[in-house]
Amino acid sequence: MKKLSFTLLLSVVVTGMAIAGSFQVGLQGQKQTGMGLIGTGFTVGPSAVFFNPGSLTFLESKLSFSAGLSPIFSSVAFQKTAPSLYEAQTDNPMGTPFSFYAAGKLNDKLSLGLGVYTPFGSSTVWEDNWAGRFLIQNISLMSIYVQPTVSYRLNDKLGIGAGFVYAYGNVALEKAVPVVGQDGAEGQASLEGSTGAYGFNAGISFHPTDKLELGLTYRSTVRMKVEGGDATFTVPASLATSFPEENTFDAELPLPGSVNLGASYKLSDKLQLGFDFHYVFWNVYDSLNIDFGENTSSLDDSENPRLLKDNWIVRVGGQYLLNDKLTLRAGGYYDSPAVEDDYYSPETPDAVKIGLTAGLSYSPTAKLDVDLSFLYVIGIERDVTYAPADFGGKYKYNAVIPGIGIMYSL
Amino acid sequence: MKTLKYLAFLLISAGILSCEPAIDDFEPNQGSADFSVYVALGNSLTAGYADGALYKSAQQTGYPVMLAAQFASVGGGAFKVPYMLDEYGLGGRRVLGPSTNCLGVTSLGPIMYPGTLNPANAAWIGDQGPFQNLGVPGARVSHLLAPGYGMLNPYYGRFASNPTTSSVLADALAQSPTFFSLWIGANDVLGYSTSGGDNCGDSLTTPEAFALYYGMLLDNLLAGGAKAVVANIPDVTSIPFFNTVPFAALVLTDQAQVDGLNAAYQALGFTFQLGPNPMVIQDLNAPAGMRQATPQDLILLTIPQDSIRCAGWGSMKPVPHRYVLDALEVTKVRNTINAFNLAIEAEADERGLAFVDANGILRSAESGLVFDGVTLNTAFVSGGVFSLDGVHLTPKGNAVVANAFIDAINARFGASVPKVVVNDYPGVAFP
Repeated sequence: MKKLSFTLLLSVVVTGMAIAGSFQVGLQGQKQTGMGLIGTGFTVGPSAVFFNPGSLTFLESKLSFSAGLSPIFSSVAFQKTAPSLYEAQTDNPMGTPFSFYAAGKLNDKLSLGLGVYTPFGSSTVWEDNWAGRFLIQNISLMSIYVQPTVSYRLNDKLGIGAGFVYAYGNVALEKAVPVVGQDGAEGQASLEGSTGAYGFNAGISFHPTDKLELGLTYRSTVRMKVEGGDATFTVPASLATSFPEENTFDAELPLPGSVNLGASYKLSDKLQLGFDFHYVFWNVYDSLNIDFGENTSSLDDSENPRLLKDNWIVRVGGQYLLNDKLTLRAGGYYDSPAVEDDYYSPETPDAVKIGLTAGLSYSPTAKLDVDLSFLYVIGIERDVTYAPADFGGKYKYNAVIPGIGIMYSL
Repeated sequence: MKTLKYLAFLLISAGILSCEPAIDDFEPNQGSADFSVYVALGNSLTAGYADGALYKSAQQTGYPVMLAAQFASVGGGAFKVPYMLDEYGLGGRRVLGPSTNCLGVTSLGPIMYPGTLNPANAAWIGDQGPFQNLGVPGARVSHLLAPGYGMLNPYYGRFASNPTTSSVLADALAQSPTFFSLWIGANDVLGYSTSGGDNCGDSLTTPEAFALYYGMLLDNLLAGGAKAVVANIPDVTSIPFFNTVPFAALVLTDQAQVDGLNAAYQALGFTFQLGPNPMVIQDLNAPAGMRQATPQDLILLTIPQDSIRCAGWGSMKPVPHRYVLDALEVTKVRNTINAFNLAIEAEADERGLAFVDANGILRSAESGLVFDGVTLNTAFVSGGVFSLDGVHLTPKGNAVVANAFIDAINARFGASVPKVVVNDYPGVAFP
């Protein structure tokens, strides 16, 4: 009999980490989240470490801190390409992006800051036996950026700043392997790996008048390279040698940089409105290649084209100072898709996304703000496919993201 | 206070749940077809035969059962199958397991399924009918018309309404079907092919006879106004049964043996070297009644491979003719199938039937078909499409066929019958 060799095209998949357009997490500051996630040209505290390092030097307080948490309740509905009655829905665990910032003035011109935040991440959990299980069953992607920052004021109107980014990343995913045991159980692959990488975040903040603020920032692409991640296979006993139990993998996942432009204007002492425009370099994410430590006749390295395209986001928002205790915020945004219709992988809840936000700050004292935010994300339904695996259908995404934070200024 | 907290919690939960995304449901539609009484006619492929036997779970995952389940959303009625009582079934079921060859090497391959025949599997159950799955393993096109066919074929005899007088066709017509599927003709070439071609006791149905019987079947089945789907015949020479054991299965590792064979066959001009060699096969048309095989000769899956390894087959002794479908015979088979398929497609066009190009699907599967991230091909065991007899389909293979039938039906009758999810069904299971 012919040798039992076969290539399982573990190849076709192993995922695009659910970050696209989609889960670039914009939730780096509670005040910003309340007003459409704008902040490049709208400085509201030490979160400027992330939003615009150039504006850090314009903060009035000598020392300030802020911290926040935005639990994400997201869900994706799926209906297989017609004609089919097959439907599925994710059961995603709560995502927990957080942020922490500190900023201090050394003198009138020079400020230092530190930020710890989670700009990319996602958790997508489909049922283990769902129809797309050979592409992905579940995936969790987490990244934490630590960013020490320096900001310098060139004159009354112009500040520049830059931060060095150390990024820690962790990815864990599971997918079914197309072999079946005589007990009916299908194979499964579990991959998990962590890594660190570097990048930067730089910005210019321009204040031509007391009322107008303009900002421009550039964030670099961070290339996460996992080396020696754990690859574990569960397969029928007779195939064990084809899927080495304690295997490893290398892979690279780029977290895209962006150019961001923003402005805000004080219409009155109480009302300030602004907008942001982001252009995100998703184009860097061309293919996800998994290089297994040990290959066999059944286990090839896997190349998974992603072919993402750059996307852009327009955000608008504003805040209204109701009194010295209460500030109200509102905003919204439009986020264009980064994933092409033929390369839509189900770990990536990508779509045209409309975000609607609201928020408020309660200030029991002049030094302390308690910030609340609420973000509702509506993904516009897409009818798409992942052509290399011939798996497609209609996807519809949404998310509800309440948030809470505090800011303390000395 | 506590009540308030609970209330707040409930409100928040409700708010979050109500935000779950929803997609408008797909609406199935029967189009101009009427699936209320669907009967399936055909051979072993239609019966749900697999792994060398007809057994219950294979019948349950045959394509007609899948079709009937999908028709249920567009007005389809009950679909009764003459089920076997167990997983042993009737035939000689194979399962994947370890076996040790004559050289003492243990490897994974098809072995006999453990168990014994339950005589009740062969007992008459025709009084429990009518059955909507009328697929009969072994049936040729003419057999479906033959009264008393149950006396010749126990697979029909067990569920025939009257084994001594009824025909498959009559059992179908008695139900006044509104829709039928007909996939017949493979056995009109397969018996000849799997027995080794000419002079091995079986023959090809002539294209003329095939067209005649096929037309008679359709005349009868369509007379009551039924709508139908028909499928053509896969090129059987492409299935694993003929493409698993290579023509060069004679692997020589000993120079002395190579020299000995070269000397012995010098007069006939056969040459041998270290490594894989074309086997010496019996060929009644060759000068000495034997020759070395070529890539165009197909070696049957049933060849006892230990005889090649340890009993000198293919080297000291020519491989018997009944284990080889030689190049000439392959051509005959292909020409016959082409003629059958021309007749089937012409009938489908003329009579307005939905038409499934099963042969085209098999062709595409040879280079690999991808379904939801799983690549299937026609390789034995690993390919996922063909079961352990190398001829019949796995449940996954049946699902591929079911979807091809649905595509054809939807196209022909303007229907929206939902497809099956191919990967809901297994391929070959591993221990």
